[in-house]
Amino acid sequence: MFSDYAALIVLLPVIGFVLTLFLGKKLPSGGAYIPIAAILGSFIISLGIFLEIYPDKVIQQSWNWFAGMNLGILIDPLAIVMLLMVSFVSLLIHIYAVGYMAHDPAKPRYFAETSLFTAAMLAVVLSDNVLQFFIAWEIVGLCSYLLIGFWYHKPAAAAAAKKAFLVTRVGDVLFLAGIVLLYVNMSQIIASHAFTLPQGNFILQFKSMFDAIPQIDPRQLTYITLLFFGGAVGKSGQFPLHGWLPDAMEGPTTVSALIHAATMVTAGVYLVARTFPMFVAAPDSLLVVAYIGGFTALFAATMGIVMNDIKRVLAYSTVSQLGYMMLALGTAGIAIGAKAVGISVFHLISHAFFKALLFLCAGSVIHAVGTNDIREMGGLFSKMKITAITMIIASLSLSGIGVPLIDLGIPVNIATSGFFSKDAIIEGAFEFGDKTGNFIPYIFAILAALLTSIYIFRLWFMTFSGTPRSEKHAHESPNVMTIPLIVLAALALLFGYSQTGFYNYLEKNFRLMNVFVPVHQEASPPSLIITLLPLIMGIAGLLISYAIYHRRMLDMSKLVSSQNPLYKLLIKRYYEPGLSADIIGVKITHGVAAQSGEFVDRKIIDGLIIDNVISNSLIKFGDVAKKIQTGVVQNYASIVLLGIGLLVILLMLGGA
Amino acid sequence: MNYTLLIPEILLTILALVIILFGLLMSDKDKNMLGYLSAAGILASIIAILGTSGSASFFYFYNSLVIDPLSQVFKLIFLTVSLLVVIASIGYFKNNPHQDEYYTLLLLALVGMMVVSSANDLISLFVGFELASMSTYVLAGFEKKNSLSLEAALKYFIIGSLSSALLLFGMSLVYGITGSTNIPVIIDYFRANPLLAASSLGVIGIIFLVAGFGFKMALVPFHMWAPDTYEGSPTVVSSLLAAGSKKMGFVAAFRLLVLFAVAVVPLRLDIQMAFGVLAVITMTYGNIVAISQRSIKRMLAYSSIAQAGYISLAFVVTTQMSVAGGVLLALGHALMKGGAFIAVAVVAYMVLSDNKNAKNTDDLENFAGLSKRAPITAFSLLVFLLALAGIPPSAGFIGKFVLFYAVIIEAVARASSWLLLVVIIAILNSALSIYYYARVIKYMYVLPPTGDKIKEPTPYVVALVLAVIGTIGIGIYPEPFIQMAMNAAHVLGV
Repeated sequence: MFSDYAALIVLLPVIGFVLTLFLGKKLPSGGAYIPIAAILGSFIISLGIFLEIYPDKVIQQSWNWFAGMNLGILIDPLAIVMLLMVSFVSLLIHIYAVGYMAHDPAKPRYFAETSLFTAAMLAVVLSDNVLQFFIAWEIVGLCSYLLIGFWYHKPAAAAAAKKAFLVTRVGDVLFLAGIVLLYVNMSQIIASHAFTLPQGNFILQFKSMFDAIPQIDPRQLTYITLLFFGGAVGKSGQFPLHGWLPDAMEGPTTVSALIHAATMVTAGVYLVARTFPMFVAAPDSLLVVAYIGGFTALFAATMGIVMNDIKRVLAYSTVSQLGYMMLALGTAGIAIGAKAVGISVFHLISHAFFKALLFLCAGSVIHAVGTNDIREMGGLFSKMKITAITMIIASLSLSGIGVPLIDLGIPVNIATSGFFSKDAIIEGAFEFGDKTGNFIPYIFAILAALLTSIYIFRLWFMTFSGTPRSEKHAHESPNVMTIPLIVLAALALLFGYSQTGFYNYLEKNFRLMNVFVPVHQEASPPSLIITLLPLIMGIAGLLISYAIYHRRMLDMSKLVSSQNPLYKLLIKRYYEPGLSADIIGVKITHGVAAQSGEFVDRKIIDGLIIDNVISNSLIKFGDVAKKIQTGVVQNYASIVLLGIGLLVILLMLGGA
Repeated sequence: MNYTLLIPEILLTILALVIILFGLLMSDKDKNMLGYLSAAGILASIIAILGTSGSASFFYFYNSLVIDPLSQVFKLIFLTVSLLVVIASIGYFKNNPHQDEYYTLLLLALVGMMVVSSANDLISLFVGFELASMSTYVLAGFEKKNSLSLEAALKYFIIGSLSSALLLFGMSLVYGITGSTNIPVIIDYFRANPLLAASSLGVIGIIFLVAGFGFKMALVPFHMWAPDTYEGSPTVVSSLLAAGSKKMGFVAAFRLLVLFAVAVVPLRLDIQMAFGVLAVITMTYGNIVAISQRSIKRMLAYSSIAQAGYISLAFVVTTQMSVAGGVLLALGHALMKGGAFIAVAVVAYMVLSDNKNAKNTDDLENFAGLSKRAPITAFSLLVFLLALAGIPPSAGFIGKFVLFYAVIIEAVARASSWLLLVVIIAILNSALSIYYYARVIKYMYVLPPTGDKIKEPTPYVVALVLAVIGTIGIGIYPEPFIQMAMNAAHVLGV
């Protein structure tokens, strides 16, 4: 019954967008309650659909659009868990924003844009064909541009918005090229009768794509999947297109939580998961996914250690965690097949909860002390107990800390959701190493785990422990902000227990569409030390941070100086703003766009029209036309008759 | 006989007469409600027409009128434009003591256009043409104290009379050859006797008909009246003329299309080439002259001429798809151009409220910083201009896409290089047009405003929002509209 209203999942927030945009000014709280109600509606419908289709149904609806394309809805296990997560996290962040944005005069614009953003993200998730997916994906990109630049009068925000837009555009162009290449290949195999499109199916539907995989030339498939992954690299901030994500922290913290932690950046991971059967058929691409993901996980974590802006630390943490998700798709995809989607998406969702929580806690802290710099914080624990405690839960979850009672023979672990989700990824990477003899991704993953724990507890100790380092009188945030924190903290603690059921549910995903994804036998469980190593790393990181930043056992001032080349390299972010992102994204894209715009404008439009030969003749022609257009009506009549005469001559000469 | 399908025409005629009668008895202030009454009548007619969708044809009054998908599509176009114009007029003519006459004339013009779209006989066609023309002559000169408006009306009237005479002369020649005024009979006769159609008499008759329709469509060289008239008329009337009454020429030409192209098989290529030349000259001339205009109404007039050139491509290849493309572009143009003129009316309102004696209210300078002064208007105009330039997702894109695609297919099928050349010129023209549209956008969004923000009057806003929704809606979900246009084209049997 709920499935009949599946389209409303997207339409409700769209309506919310329109209403808030036009009526927001006249309503209390800038019209915040409209998007909240709309997204609550989306969440309820998603929940209803989940209960309806669990455990083994899939919803497919499709409408003819134009020229062989369709608009459609595909809700399979993968989509429904994403729908639930996106709508729920978005709902909590909207509620939190009522408090956080209370003093901002541009609230209607804020809530309208976040509502549109949510709609677009839900549309990405629901899409049953790659074209619609791409369109929604672009709207997501547009919204992120608008929201990062929300405080557009701040030059840094405007620059960050531009950078985000341009850098992700690099990925989008690759993605679009992949779609075009796919379309060409599909058309070819259909034209050569190697593959027939069943009645009622459309060429760019995921289902058709998957069915056609055996007929597509494997090399072409590798290109297509690599191009798709290019899109995912842009959207999910993977190396080398990661530079925009930390800069995107110039937006309001709620935007960072919504877009750059929980939802938009996961779109890239979702794209790879959604088209996973194609990646499995192109193992080379999967290997690229594994390497890029693993490297990003480690690379971003190294920068997380030295950042002093609370939100930037979290931003690098996000980049790093997204790397983990990619790593899971790559390594586990090769090693154990279909289950990789479950492992990756499980971490995606548990990450969404604890990362949204971390950002909202950070927002709460910023709200209280009025600065982003952790060097000016400290000693906030006693003043902001709820924030501090929920944040430590999130930090434990991010570091993957728990008590592995199972390994001691007790049937239930006491652990955070990150413990379950991250352990599985690292084990998957080990399994990959075990099978192929290639342990590089595993080493990336395990080292990143140590660094993750160090940077997040550094952040926590610097913020909450010790003595205050600024005069500002801090206070706990209002209820409308702390309640979402508590809800998210509960989820960050408890979500992990759904692990087994979650894996089983997602493993069926592609089988429900009659798409075959191989399942490889898992090797015998690795030795205890391998199982426990991620946890050991997490605890080690916690202890190191405790020693340095709480007990002050080490004097960091020697290390933390511009004399130290390693520190300099990290704090300058590997010179990445000047190197990769700027060169690839801003310099090249912006340069090419600006240059070609300039060229078209100056040389073609102005050159031809205003200055040069054609323009002169056009203007002369215009002058002649003006002379003809005398305004004297007799001349008009003469010209009508002249025209008739010419037509007669034309037809008579040609015709008779 | 079942007259339910004629309810819209009957309703609107009665409404027109009722309004002029009531107008005699009403105080000037009460006349403000007449606009709402007209809008309600038009809305009811739209609903009535949407309710009768089907693919069958029904004939009335000894075969002189026909109700079929083609007539219904064009009636929808006319009704939609009139609805937008009436809604905007509620603001434009507020407290004008002659509103009753205005709305009566507007409704009668609308009935005339609807008769033309249903005309199955040369006589009913001519009567419809004249009813619409006579009413719009008066509407163009409605601001009788404004000399520009009077000049516009007079020029329109003189050239209009000339073309009516030509049209009537062409009809008499056709009647002389075929012995009938009934369009299907004429076409059958020409089919049976192609040599007669290709005779000097037949060709001249056809050319006179083309000239008569060309006046309405504002094809070069029958376009001269259009810029002057659009510029001088009250802006809402310009909107009606450019977006609505112009399409009369197209529907009439579509009805006789078969006569032009299919029946005259021996002549076929030549007459198509004549249309090709006409279309290319029209779009190129319209676009080039539009570039140098400072008056936005004149610019829109020339852009309207250029659009007529694109739509005429439908006559060049005469396939089902090309006609469907022409219908789609006509539909899209009705929304985009109608909306654009209404946006210009808002600017005029804005300028006049700054300075009561302002001249040239549609000068480009007055659009500077419009996004700050009147954001809804600026955004709507942005949408209309981008749509006119054919940028997706918009009705303008869909129409051009289907039309150009149809011509390319035909060019490939016939291995005809000149057809390919025609479509390349059309595409280059589209690119050229972006230049002058973009200039207006630059003024609206980049340059600083010259005054304070104004409150945009509600009637205008409603009309603009409706037009924007239509323009983008067709672009996003074109399938039913393409289907409708294909059905309409199917009626012609091409």
